[in-house]
Amino acid sequence: MPTPVTVARQCLTPEAANALDEAVGVARRRGHAQTTSLHAVSALLSLPSSPLREACARARNAACSPRLQFKALDLCLSVSLDRVPSSQQVGHEPPVSNSLMAAIKRSQANQRRQPENFHLYRDISQQNLSNISCIKVELQHLILSILDDPVVSRVFGEAGFRSSEIKLALIRPLPNLLRYPRPRGPPVFLCNLENSNPDNDRGPRRSFSFPFPGFAAFFDGEENCRRIGEVLARRRNPLLVGICARDTLTSFIDSVEKKKDGILAKEISGSNVISIDSDVSRFINGDVDKGCLDSKFEEMGRVLQRDLGPGLVVNYGDLEVLLSDNRKNDENAKVGASGPASYVVAQLTRLLQLHGEKVWLLGSAASYETYLKFVGRFPSTEKDWNLQILPITSVRPSLAESFPKSSLMESFVPFGGLFSMPSEIKGPLRNPQCVTRCRSCDDKCEQEVRAISKGGFTFSMADRYQSSLPPWLRMKELGTSKGLNVKAKDDGIILNAKVAALQKKWDAICQQLHHTPFPESKTCQLNSEFPTVVGFQFIQDKKEFADGQRSNSRDALPNDCDCRNINPVMSVNLQKQSDMPYSVVSKAKNGSFLPRLGEKPTKGDDLETVGSISPCSLSNSSVGNCSQASPTSVTSVTTDLGLGLCSVLSSNESMKTPNQKHIDLGKDFSDCFRTNIDLIHEGISNRPTQSSSSSSHDFGGQFNSNDFKRLFRDLSERVGWQDEATRLISQTVVNCRTRSEKCHGASQRGDVWFNFIGPDRRGKRKIAIALAEIIYGSRDNFISMDLSSEDGMIKTSSLFDYEELNYDLRFRGKNVVDYVAGELRKRPWSVVFVENVDQADVLIWSSLSHAIRTGKLSDSHGREVSTKNAIFVMTSTLTTDSKVLFQRIEASNYSEDKILRAKGWPMRILVEYMDSTNSQNLTLATTTREGRTSNPGFLNKRKMLGTNEVLDQGEIVEMSKRANRTSSMKLDLNIPAEEDELQETEDGSVDNDSSSDNSKPWLQGFPGQVGSNVVKVVFKSFDFDTLAEKLTNLVAEGFHRIIGSECLLEIDHKVMEQLLAAAYLSDSNKAVEDWVEQVLTRGFVEVPKRYSLSAHSVVKLLTCEGLRFEEQTPSVHLPLKIILT
Amino acid sequence: MGNVLLETLNVRVVGSGEKFLVLGHGVGTDQSAWQRIVPYFAPYYRIILFDLVCAGSVNPDYFDFRKYSTLDAFVDDLLNILDALGVDRCAFVGHSFSAMVGILASIRRPELFTKLILIGASPRFLNDGDYHGGFEEGEIDKVFSAMETNYEAWVNGFAPLAVGADVPTAVREFSRTLFNMRPDITLFISRTVFNSDLRGVLGLVKVPCCIIQTSKDVSVPTSVAEYLRTHLGGRTTVEILKTEGHLPHLSAPALLGQVLRRALSR
Repeated sequence: MPTPVTVARQCLTPEAANALDEAVGVARRRGHAQTTSLHAVSALLSLPSSPLREACARARNAACSPRLQFKALDLCLSVSLDRVPSSQQVGHEPPVSNSLMAAIKRSQANQRRQPENFHLYRDISQQNLSNISCIKVELQHLILSILDDPVVSRVFGEAGFRSSEIKLALIRPLPNLLRYPRPRGPPVFLCNLENSNPDNDRGPRRSFSFPFPGFAAFFDGEENCRRIGEVLARRRNPLLVGICARDTLTSFIDSVEKKKDGILAKEISGSNVISIDSDVSRFINGDVDKGCLDSKFEEMGRVLQRDLGPGLVVNYGDLEVLLSDNRKNDENAKVGASGPASYVVAQLTRLLQLHGEKVWLLGSAASYETYLKFVGRFPSTEKDWNLQILPITSVRPSLAESFPKSSLMESFVPFGGLFSMPSEIKGPLRNPQCVTRCRSCDDKCEQEVRAISKGGFTFSMADRYQSSLPPWLRMKELGTSKGLNVKAKDDGIILNAKVAALQKKWDAICQQLHHTPFPESKTCQLNSEFPTVVGFQFIQDKKEFADGQRSNSRDALPNDCDCRNINPVMSVNLQKQSDMPYSVVSKAKNGSFLPRLGEKPTKGDDLETVGSISPCSLSNSSVGNCSQASPTSVTSVTTDLGLGLCSVLSSNESMKTPNQKHIDLGKDFSDCFRTNIDLIHEGISNRPTQSSSSSSHDFGGQFNSNDFKRLFRDLSERVGWQDEATRLISQTVVNCRTRSEKCHGASQRGDVWFNFIGPDRRGKRKIAIALAEIIYGSRDNFISMDLSSEDGMIKTSSLFDYEELNYDLRFRGKNVVDYVAGELRKRPWSVVFVENVDQADVLIWSSLSHAIRTGKLSDSHGREVSTKNAIFVMTSTLTTDSKVLFQRIEASNYSEDKILRAKGWPMRILVEYMDSTNSQNLTLATTTREGRTSNPGFLNKRKMLGTNEVLDQGEIVEMSKRANRTSSMKLDLNIPAEEDELQETEDGSVDNDSSSDNSKPWLQGFPGQVGSNVVKVVFKSFDFDTLAEKLTNLVAEGFHRIIGSECLLEIDHKVMEQLLAAAYLSDSNKAVEDWVEQVLTRGFVEVPKRYSLSAHSVVKLLTCEGLRFEEQTPSVHLPLKIILT
Repeated sequence: MGNVLLETLNVRVVGSGEKFLVLGHGVGTDQSAWQRIVPYFAPYYRIILFDLVCAGSVNPDYFDFRKYSTLDAFVDDLLNILDALGVDRCAFVGHSFSAMVGILASIRRPELFTKLILIGASPRFLNDGDYHGGFEEGEIDKVFSAMETNYEAWVNGFAPLAVGADVPTAVREFSRTLFNMRPDITLFISRTVFNSDLRGVLGLVKVPCCIIQTSKDVSVPTSVAEYLRTHLGGRTTVEILKTEGHLPHLSAPALLGQVLRRALSR
């Protein structure tokens, strides 16, 4: 709970309050919700005369130059500050965060315990115990406490400082070296007053809540005793329940006997205690006779009559004792109320009745169960004794002795930190390296951060080019910075969040610059050797490569940037680079275009937007242009790179605008050619490898349909059975690209949202993966999660989910949205695949719909990531859409559910011999039976003789049922008919209408505008029957070839399911066929060798459930060999 | 009294809804530990968040070493908070230490609680005869002495262990809150925890309970969940989370959120 600034300020001296105000100012400027310790550090460092800065200067690592280390500190601090989530409500004073407030409170406590101040504050606190806020925290103490904050010390650690050294420097300012003689210095975190004045009488000091005095005294169970006393004061009889109740009881009796204060309330203090527990236990065990106990009770009576004190507490001990006679004196117990325990209980009850107001009974029970037993045995006691159960939970007063005060305290004296801790060592080791290595990066990053946080784009590109970095590296910088600026410009409010990303990218660049493998940079240098040629190359290439580009560019990409981790960075960069040379070229060569462009007045708007920025300084203009023009050109070029399809321009008009921009860019660049020459060369030099395919720009009007055709073809290659869906998807993707091409200025969204509904989970996934591969070039750009499982993990329900292993690792500590956002940050050009979106929870739902509306996905930390370059695919299995027409297709024998759930068991071949009657029945029973001996009546029903024909499904089911009844064979062919009913599928008709919504309310909840953004694609169910038929034929063929046609082949349904699942899930069409060819056939070959087969033999192919198979064939998840039994 | 307490313990009520949901954090964290859980329930419940008096975010001067030597004082605090807010019925979610507090509170005021959800709860951390609490006496002493010698080092070592897995943010978060606690209070409260033994009183609980336990927890063996289930007096269910660590609300909030929602709706 944040504290209002005014409240916090009250605890501070004016000087410290001033620092706090500065910190609040920092937080407000950054739009953060709270003022944290980090803000305070930032403010403290920037104060005009900053003790912290001074201390840092003295504590710094001698190995680095001070300037460097301060820069590092500044950088680390701003990085951490950027990680702080920003808030919506900017303007008012961000309240003080818990951690900072805790620091203030810590420093208050420290200060009060300072020996110098001790007497002063003791007086104050004695006057006013509760109010400690009267202590005004001095700046020094505040700084010390803030340095204790782990977040802060991490920042310092990262910058190569040790917070302990800073503290040391703070506490011992140089002039005060005289204080050194003190070996340990004044404690700042906890007071060791106790040590320094051991002779002090503790008595008076108890009055203020000093943590340690009389520590030992607290632990004699006083708290429990007090509670018992409370119950007694309420005139009830406490029964202590708990493992340690007996100990507590003893200690209570002790302390009452010793007449300690504060245990019994005033009105009953001075009560006497009498313990009869030992007598009771001896009596019940039969060690003493009744008379002994009676004398005790008489004594009690006398005490009560003498009327000493307010009353008498009778401790009868443990209930267990009263129950124990149950076992020992069984006969007595049976007699009823005459047992010794009953006698004791009766006596106690009588005592209570006689002296009601003055007697308390006190006992204990180890557990509630004991009490229950007791009450069960003596039901009257519950009422008569007026028991109050008091749970006792603290075991024993063992704390005092093992509490060495001094060592604990010393550990918290900041100097304790001098004993180097792992975390602190790490910092200096790692960071100075980084700092020294990437100084130029650092500087620039800092500049950028500053520039961005000021809200302007004032950093100079030229600066970058003057740096001594090799051109290849510079190019990368350029690309990154632009990419970031684009983002930053998108949304001024979330600038700060973007800065964080910027920092990260700089880190990545930094990493890259200094840790790139040597060969890579070599390649780049090679590239840059013939920069001027490229323009021509490009022109020539464009025809040759027009078609083959896709493969080329795909090949080229990985070569060129095998630094996967910064892939997005690179790609941004590539696009930028590729734009520029293109514009130059198009100006020069595409003369036919130019006149037309000039004629059309429609270009106006776009030109103006570009123009308005270009007047800036040369370096700025290039940035400005890019940030303006890029959203569209980026997308177009992305498509180029990935698809080789060239930009998705549907018409001449849309074609023109980007070209205009290119030209503009080109102009700008030619103006500033001298300074930026490197840049252009860089762009050009990278051209042939990176964006060769954009040459197809020239083919004007045909793009759209070409794009579509190619995408459609590629998709169909992978998922051949979803024709309609594939068509719609390709169409949408292409259209969307085109649309985003058309309207660069206003909404520059290139994101596509699909909702795949209907069955065929695998098909959906395949298509999504295909989209990632085709459009974004690699499967790495496929982000998937399944919302049906509890935590977004993919369920590993069957063997075939092999690929989704290790999913839980990704999700640790994140929710699904965090994960997606994180991945999108890494790879903005991605396909995001969200399975079972209908089962999303509230959080995911709101983030997703927000993203659909705005194109920005915000994670649980409030950070936003743009989805503008991504394709989102959501799937749900719902098919119950009222407006979609259902076309009932033939009920399928194999449901998708079942197939997906199929387990990978080992398979075995079993040979059985049938007498003829039995075999007839069997023939009826199996779908996949083969042979000539079968009943001719049924043979007629088969469409093809001699092959494993799948019969009409309904009949099969019936027949198999009958067969089960007639024969006791283990036939596993009971496909429930209901299951088939479920297999209704919608006809392939695709519904693009947003009004026809899913039954799930949240999908309906999308606002209208959102609905139109999401393209609904209906999937057909996969045709397992045809596949099954094909597979059966295949198996039968092999069987015939090897064994001959006399024998029957029976394929268990489970085996069939397994085969189908393997075929359905495998990526290549041939995999299962190969398996049949190699593995199964090999199995068949073995059969005649082992068995003598006759016409009555039935060869069965079964699964061995319960066994795990050891070996799998690599391509398909089927056993590597067949077991023969 | 009530208002002072609400202020001291940073009591916060968030969310909209009819029913109250109390989230009690464990030792070493503060109410911020629930920040990833709160969004799941804010639309449906009025969520009461508070800090235990031992939390780093509470002024350490309020921590009265004499008073808080047993769990009962914490129970008092909890009940006082609920009374001050005028809560007459609520569901209680307690993690670890707060689970213990919740158990005791429900014994004292059964009518106040509709349901207890106990995350990583244990009635007793020490082994004792047949009971396997997960810790031997000697181990505990070692932990305590480690805490005494160098608190920061202990925090750095303990946090990843408790979080149980490679969730850097959770480890960071837990280290932060753990470090915010004054070390003497941490030590003191740890001793209180290890000296507590609720086994005898579990039968007194009549409120339905749901025990949520991760599949691997350094502090609580899974057998404890079963022990709780058999010994708690009310209708009790056990949910095992397929994750590791003692702090699922930090390390696997989405998973926990789902299970919590299910448990609350039952």
